[in-house]
Amino acid sequence: MTQQAVLRVTELTKHYGDVRAVDGISFSVEPATVFTLLGPNGAGKTTTLEILEGIREPDSGEIEAFGQRLRRVDRATKARMGVLLQEGNFEAHLKAKEVVALFASFFGRSVSVPEILDRVALGEKANALVKTLSGGQKQRLAVAVALVNDPELVFLDEPTTGLDPQARRNMWSIVEGLKERGKTLILTTHYMEEAQALSDWVCIMDHGKLIAEGTTRQLTADLAQNTRVEFRAESLPDVARSALEACCLGARAEDGTIVLETADLPRTMQALLEWSRKHDVPLHQLGVRQPDLEDVFLSLTGRRLRE
Amino acid sequence: MTDILLLARTHVVTALRERVTLFWFLVFPIFLLTILALIFGRIGEESEIHFDIALVNRDVGAPADGFSARIASIFVEMSTAKESGERPLFSLHAPSLDESHDDFLAREEQALRRGELAAIVVIPEGFHEAVLATAMAPIMPDPPSFEVLMSESDVASEMAAGIIEQIIVEVDREILVQMGRFDESAAIGRAQVWVGEDAADEVRYVDFLLPGVILMGFFTNGLFGVPGAILFNRDRKVLRRYWVTALPVGRYLVGFSLGHLALCVMQFVLLYLLGRFAFGARVSFARLDAALLLVLSAVTFMAFGFLIASLARTANAGMAIANVLNMPMMFLSGLFFPTGGLPTFLAVFAAVNPVTYLVEGLRTSVGVQTASTSPILLLAVPLGWIALSAAVASRRLRWDVAR
Repeated sequence: MTQQAVLRVTELTKHYGDVRAVDGISFSVEPATVFTLLGPNGAGKTTTLEILEGIREPDSGEIEAFGQRLRRVDRATKARMGVLLQEGNFEAHLKAKEVVALFASFFGRSVSVPEILDRVALGEKANALVKTLSGGQKQRLAVAVALVNDPELVFLDEPTTGLDPQARRNMWSIVEGLKERGKTLILTTHYMEEAQALSDWVCIMDHGKLIAEGTTRQLTADLAQNTRVEFRAESLPDVARSALEACCLGARAEDGTIVLETADLPRTMQALLEWSRKHDVPLHQLGVRQPDLEDVFLSLTGRRLRE
Repeated sequence: MTDILLLARTHVVTALRERVTLFWFLVFPIFLLTILALIFGRIGEESEIHFDIALVNRDVGAPADGFSARIASIFVEMSTAKESGERPLFSLHAPSLDESHDDFLAREEQALRRGELAAIVVIPEGFHEAVLATAMAPIMPDPPSFEVLMSESDVASEMAAGIIEQIIVEVDREILVQMGRFDESAAIGRAQVWVGEDAADEVRYVDFLLPGVILMGFFTNGLFGVPGAILFNRDRKVLRRYWVTALPVGRYLVGFSLGHLALCVMQFVLLYLLGRFAFGARVSFARLDAALLLVLSAVTFMAFGFLIASLARTANAGMAIANVLNMPMMFLSGLFFPTGGLPTFLAVFAAVNPVTYLVEGLRTSVGVQTASTSPILLLAVPLGWIALSAAVASRRLRWDVAR
């Protein structure tokens, strides 16, 4: 990590009663990158973000934002940040443009409300009451509010949770647009594909700890380098398992799919096809999949992200 | 400054766009004023209404067709059973032939205190001559008065007094017409005597009611509006969105309070206009002490709302506390009806209830009630509640949901 980090966190800790929600984590965020905290629900991602957003105070640890060491995130720092909360509502009876104007006033900046609404494709909904907006539109309004002060650092806490696929795609476009404009983004998600698609740097959290970090490529190369061969089958009899394990590193059944891990794909495929012909077992939906962050998390914890 | 003004505007706009809020803050007080004014403000028009009153004519030396006798005869007439069988408006108590006026008055005053009598009308000695002299004088002096004794703790007494007032106005007009001096001035005045209190000016029920309904509007706004807005917005994480910006809590508080006070101003204007133009209220709030008491009331009830918000863990709990306090605080305060003669435990509640002092202070300042409490206490109790509420809220009020 370089000295120009926008945000640096050292040994950050937060307890709720006996629960260590954040357990001595350290990381730094480089400028103009998308930094992702990936982990299952309850991993400590949101608590970490709430501390960095200034909502909660840490029990211990150091925060350095924009080169300033802070015990707690102050107003001057908040003025340079934009936050999209995981949960949060607006006054239901305000119009979209009134919400944006209100939040702009908190930063003492004169922003063009129509421009910022256009940026999140809500220009036509400027006069609509918040209560009449769809879930995706409300989330885009929240993004507009997070950007109203033209922040250098943007927090996006689970930005696509609960959104339909189309709204999720729209959110991804917005994030990519921010990245292109040189903003530094801190993203939390429990969607592996979201982290994979958007992130420059991924920190994997579990039980309040950082268990791995790096680029997606580094993490998969280091921690889940084996290729997966998959086909549909309800179960894997012991006879079949021993036959298949002879041609790969391991075989297991997952949700009606048999997964073979291999470091030698041609050899494994050849052996699998021969086994299929010999035993007359059809290989429905046979496919080859490169390892992803889900596999990384599985190899680190023995659990899936959404378990 | 823009942030504070926009926060104030947000509070007002959301209240006005929300139908339930709009109903309780604006429609309900208007509805209540209308209902109470219609029921009690025209009480004399309802034939089934009946009052016991006592009449003492001390002007025994006046001619039999003089003004004193004519006024007395009107009350006798109004207490005589009608041919239609309808019950007369008044049951008239009069001294017996062998009873002195003073003994009779002493006895009837006790009955008035016990609520068995609505009013006592006393025509003073020399009243006929004084009216005649007033009516004949080239420049009319202050008119002679007769007394109407009423009970402060009895709304029936106030209603009866309102009817007696109407009778006097009619008699007065008749005298002046006969003298050719109608419209110039009054020939008869009337001293209204609250039993146990100093003399007060004429009070009509709508004038008594209007300050009460205005304070009720402020009270409801504070008791429900403040914890409602704060706690629901906290629990729904509307406030959290503010706290991740550069907005400090203090500025939010100022903006919110300004918006709340703006809503109170709107309530006041609407209720005042309705009272004045729909029900003929004559009470005027254009006095510095009345204006200050209105502001003190709005601030006290707002502080009370913050106190509730501090004590409640959730918005629903806040509304439950407000509901529990609402009725006793409103009705054991004299907002709508006098609170004299309450049982001890209720009297204690009324004595610590800030509404009691604010409504008495406001009514006194606008001249529809005579204060029975010292001005210092009238201010000290609400100010004490403001201080207590501020102290508790500054320590206990959570601005974000608990983890």
